[in-house]
Amino acid sequence: MFASRTTELPQRLGSQAAHRMAEGLAAALPRLSADARRASASVAAGVHGRRRAGQGETFWQFRPFMSGEPAAKVDWRRSARDGKLYVREREWEAAQSVWVHIDQSPSMDYRSSFSPIAKNERAVVLGLAAADMLVRGGERVGLIGASPAIASRRIIERLGEAMMASPGFGQVFPEAPLAPRSEALIIGDFIAPLPELDAKLKALAARGARGHLLLVSDPAEETFPYSGQTEFIDPEDGFRLRVGQAGELAATYRQRLAAHRHGLRQIAGRLGWSVTAHVTDKPASETLLRFAMALAQGSAAGPAGGR
Amino acid sequence: MLGLPLAFTIPAVLTALAALPVLYWLLRLTPPPPDRAVLPTLAIVRDMERKEETPAHTPWWLLLLRLLIAGLIILAMAGPLWNPDVDARNGRGPMLVVMDNSWSSAPDWQQRVTRAQALIETAGGAGRPVALRATSDEPVDIVPGTSTRALDQLRSLAPVAHSIDRKRHEASLLAFLDRQADATILWLTDRVSVAPDRDALKAVAAKAGDRLTVLAPDESAVQALAGPSNTPEAMTVRVLRADGTAGAAGALRATDWRGRPVAEARFLFPAGAREVTARFEAPLELRNDIARIDMPGQISAGAVQLLDGRNKRRRVGVVSGESTDTAQPLLSPSYFVMRALGPFADVREAPRGAPDPYSRLIEDGATVLVLTDVGTLSGPALARLTAFVENGGVLIRFASRRVAAPADALMPVRLRRNERVMGGALSWDTPKKLATFLAGGPFDGMRISDDVTVTQQILAEPDAALSDKTWAALEDGTPLITGEKRGKGVVALFHVTADSGWSTLPLSLAFVETLRRLTGLSAISGDVQEVGTAADASRRDDALLAPLRNLDGFGAFHPPSATTEPVRRNFQDAASAKHPPGFYGTQESPLAVNTLTANAELHPLDLSGLTVRPLAARQALDLRPHLITLALLLFLVDAVAALWLSGALARLRTRGAAAAAMVLLGFALAFSANAPQAVAQQPASPAPRQDRMPSFRADDIEAALTTRLAYVITGDREIDEISRQGLQGLTRALATRTALDPGEPIGLDISRDELVFYPLLYWPMVATRPAPTEAAIRRIDAFMKGGGTIIFDTRDALNNRGGTSVTPETQYMRRILSSIDVPDLEPVPKDHVITKTFYILDGFLGRYATGRTWIEVLQRNQEQDRTRPAQAGDRVSPIIITGNDLAAAWAVDRLGQPRFPLVPGDARQREFAIRGGVNIVMYALTGNYKADQVHVPALLERLGQ
Repeated sequence: MFASRTTELPQRLGSQAAHRMAEGLAAALPRLSADARRASASVAAGVHGRRRAGQGETFWQFRPFMSGEPAAKVDWRRSARDGKLYVREREWEAAQSVWVHIDQSPSMDYRSSFSPIAKNERAVVLGLAAADMLVRGGERVGLIGASPAIASRRIIERLGEAMMASPGFGQVFPEAPLAPRSEALIIGDFIAPLPELDAKLKALAARGARGHLLLVSDPAEETFPYSGQTEFIDPEDGFRLRVGQAGELAATYRQRLAAHRHGLRQIAGRLGWSVTAHVTDKPASETLLRFAMALAQGSAAGPAGGR
Repeated sequence: MLGLPLAFTIPAVLTALAALPVLYWLLRLTPPPPDRAVLPTLAIVRDMERKEETPAHTPWWLLLLRLLIAGLIILAMAGPLWNPDVDARNGRGPMLVVMDNSWSSAPDWQQRVTRAQALIETAGGAGRPVALRATSDEPVDIVPGTSTRALDQLRSLAPVAHSIDRKRHEASLLAFLDRQADATILWLTDRVSVAPDRDALKAVAAKAGDRLTVLAPDESAVQALAGPSNTPEAMTVRVLRADGTAGAAGALRATDWRGRPVAEARFLFPAGAREVTARFEAPLELRNDIARIDMPGQISAGAVQLLDGRNKRRRVGVVSGESTDTAQPLLSPSYFVMRALGPFADVREAPRGAPDPYSRLIEDGATVLVLTDVGTLSGPALARLTAFVENGGVLIRFASRRVAAPADALMPVRLRRNERVMGGALSWDTPKKLATFLAGGPFDGMRISDDVTVTQQILAEPDAALSDKTWAALEDGTPLITGEKRGKGVVALFHVTADSGWSTLPLSLAFVETLRRLTGLSAISGDVQEVGTAADASRRDDALLAPLRNLDGFGAFHPPSATTEPVRRNFQDAASAKHPPGFYGTQESPLAVNTLTANAELHPLDLSGLTVRPLAARQALDLRPHLITLALLLFLVDAVAALWLSGALARLRTRGAAAAAMVLLGFALAFSANAPQAVAQQPASPAPRQDRMPSFRADDIEAALTTRLAYVITGDREIDEISRQGLQGLTRALATRTALDPGEPIGLDISRDELVFYPLLYWPMVATRPAPTEAAIRRIDAFMKGGGTIIFDTRDALNNRGGTSVTPETQYMRRILSSIDVPDLEPVPKDHVITKTFYILDGFLGRYATGRTWIEVLQRNQEQDRTRPAQAGDRVSPIIITGNDLAAAWAVDRLGQPRFPLVPGDARQREFAIRGGVNIVMYALTGNYKADQVHVPALLERLGQ
């Protein structure tokens, strides 16, 4: 037998429940902040800046002048060395806003006995760690609906305070489209039906924002370790499903889960967003590293490439 | 119930069985609950619902199982009894159980108690008030109470060792029947009547009618012993039985004072006889040792006869008229007599020349007096002896060499003045031989030996009664031995002297036999206590004898109880509650009090016309624990089944933990196998305690392996800490200076800890603490006797003014030592080995330097000791007393710095204090070894030569 933390869910629904959940989260924040700092520190050692040309002070490269470009771009000193014209490019240093959304819906408040940490807590760790990492990389990070984009060395604390200050934080999926040239980091379990997800993500990306999906799931959700007579409860709406032999459901469940994930990736892929999966029994830093790689790659190749 | 031997103590509970259908309905409606699991991703399989429905109802067999469990519990609560006692179920009102508990109930006592218990339990279960009355109880009013109280009473009941008159209870029983009109009486009797109470139950039965039920064994197998008698030939004892048919044959066993078997005898009752005499055919010497006769087959006080001096060998006094300075003692007449009587009687010879030898011997307890070479008796001696004979003494006289024909009242026949000489130089006659013994006389049946020849005799005056008085006659019909009964006693006369001058009789076997038979006559004529003057007797009889050992109802010896009262020396009645049977007086001359008097008889109790039921009944079995056990087992089965149904068992198996389930099952099986035994043992008496090896405490083992210093925990924290630090300091000094490396010092609680592991115990006196308990002092005493040494430190050298004032610490120590066996003490002498065991010291300093140190006095050998520099006894002094507060001088703190300043504080004082401590420890460990060491130079010198 294993236990899951969420019980008696009908009472946990509604704004009061949200409050309580936020309070629980607030209590856990110092610990989560420390986790986040540790995770980001371990990743920061391996990944560096954005490494691409853009608006900045630092020299990046000389490239041959292409016809049609304004003549003012020509770097005459360099061009004088040989007969060709060169344009001096600086590294892209324009600070960009990254907007983070951490799903705090009831389904995230779940921890099975296989996992050391609840999904929503791990989501906060990942979110804060990613924010810290991004700020050190020169970005500004904000929380959708809770905090403006800021670039502070104490970004973890600042965002944490912001989370606590806004009670409804993370309860609702953001709907307003993000500004162009901004990036979104959506952390959640994405178990809504695919069409719904598709619509929501499309709305977010309507003005050309790029994004990353960080899918957090519990090992119990991945493996479906149930058997015998079981009554399943959906934490979102308290729906109960009684199954005589849960073991027989496992195959179907896994199949459908895989299909759901596949669909999610396709939706994200169409928008040019990346999807990174994280299971809560794995360390946060590992996923953070993968996310950092995805971030670098996506920026280099993505459609919103910073121009 | 339904013809089954089954009854319920609380039948009302059975109505709960009617609720079973309701339970059935409830159980049917509530299936076992499913596991509940929260699954956030449930949405993706939401449409799978209701494809597989759970069972809405519990399976029928599970239902049946649960109903069975409920039924079993209800049945158990109703208190089912298998084989209930039917006799206790007649009647509704109060029940009175009367138990015979005299000695005659002892042989089957356990059966009686079991039956009474069954009766009381059954009646108590039916809610009836119960009263228990033992016939040994005082006949006070009977008040019925709870069965629990009656059971408690029953448990404390034991058969008493004396006989009881059942009629005592008639009045209280009749009163009880009057008060309780619906009461029933159950009388557990043993069918034996000793006192005149054969019809004791009749009066009760007349009133109670069928409300009285007598529970009795089918026949009384009780047998008893009475009237032991040490006849000349054998020890006889009467074997009695109440029932003329039960137990025809048996064996008796005689044991001496220490319980060693002496003799055995068998008896066989003639058909219908209620009495038979058993005989112990054994030499008199052995018979005299018999202190107890019992019947191995009968465990009761009545089947035991205790024997005392009254049944023992006769005490014979010999009075000789010879002068004190006997030139040839081996030829004196009294010597022959004493040799002849020696094997079977306790012979005392009056000191020659004593003023009144007769009184002296009679007061000594002699029952037979032999007068050799004594002439005519007269005056007070004659009166004394006449009274003696009248009271039952045996007086044996011999012809005297000096006064040939004594003429006084204590002669069986009148004698002629002169003796007759046969076969002498001046005689025509040849020596005459022994010819006849008087038929019916004391010598009747004795073999006539040829070797007796008589050369000289005194003759009796012919008389009409002479032939009846002539117990032994010669060939010519002249008397050799004459005798006559006087009062209760006997007077006998040998017509020859007791030496071999007149005849060869004193040299022959016939002499021994005749004397023996004559001595035996006193056995029929009374005992030691009856002999003597009336004044003596009354003085002795008034003496009260304290109980020495008593018999309980089962005939086993035990120390006398507080309620046993002393008896008078002349106590001859049967034992009673105040005077239970047993030995009274001193071990040297005990008085035996027996359950039955010498002429007691056993009668069967008259039970005709009464409702008599057999005593033995099948034991009632309380089914409650068995049913509960069964219900628990089924409950386990149910739990496993429920687990299986909910799939938990399958999950266990998939996780490879099927073993856990097997363990659970195994536990259940083991429980089921053990439970009935455990339950079965419960009502029985507690199992005999097993003698187990004493378990050793871990710290005792540790203590035995490491030598360490120890101190007594006084309870004063400060003093104990000083003791600990002091011994720690000493331990360090020992470890650095000597070969001894002691373990950490340890504090001991003398009332609890085992002391035997520690060679040396330091005990600071704290006057404010309570004195140790007596048990603790005994332990200290044992410790000192077992070779341990204790340092008593009064720590009062500074306050001790000397003289008569005594400090509280010293008083405290004296109080402890007052109850300990302390040897003589002396201040440590200069040459005592303790001053030389490691360092050479003058004294033992501590925090103070003025106190003296005391030690056991040495046993000195004056001459040789002058030269020896060291003196030692054979053992270590068990006690060293000092007032110098040694521990405070030794005490060091954690850094090894001394804790206390010293007084007067000489720089060398601390060093000498530690040296003193080292010496004391060495002394305790090595004893007198150093005293022997001083001889080493001399030994080496001698070896060198």
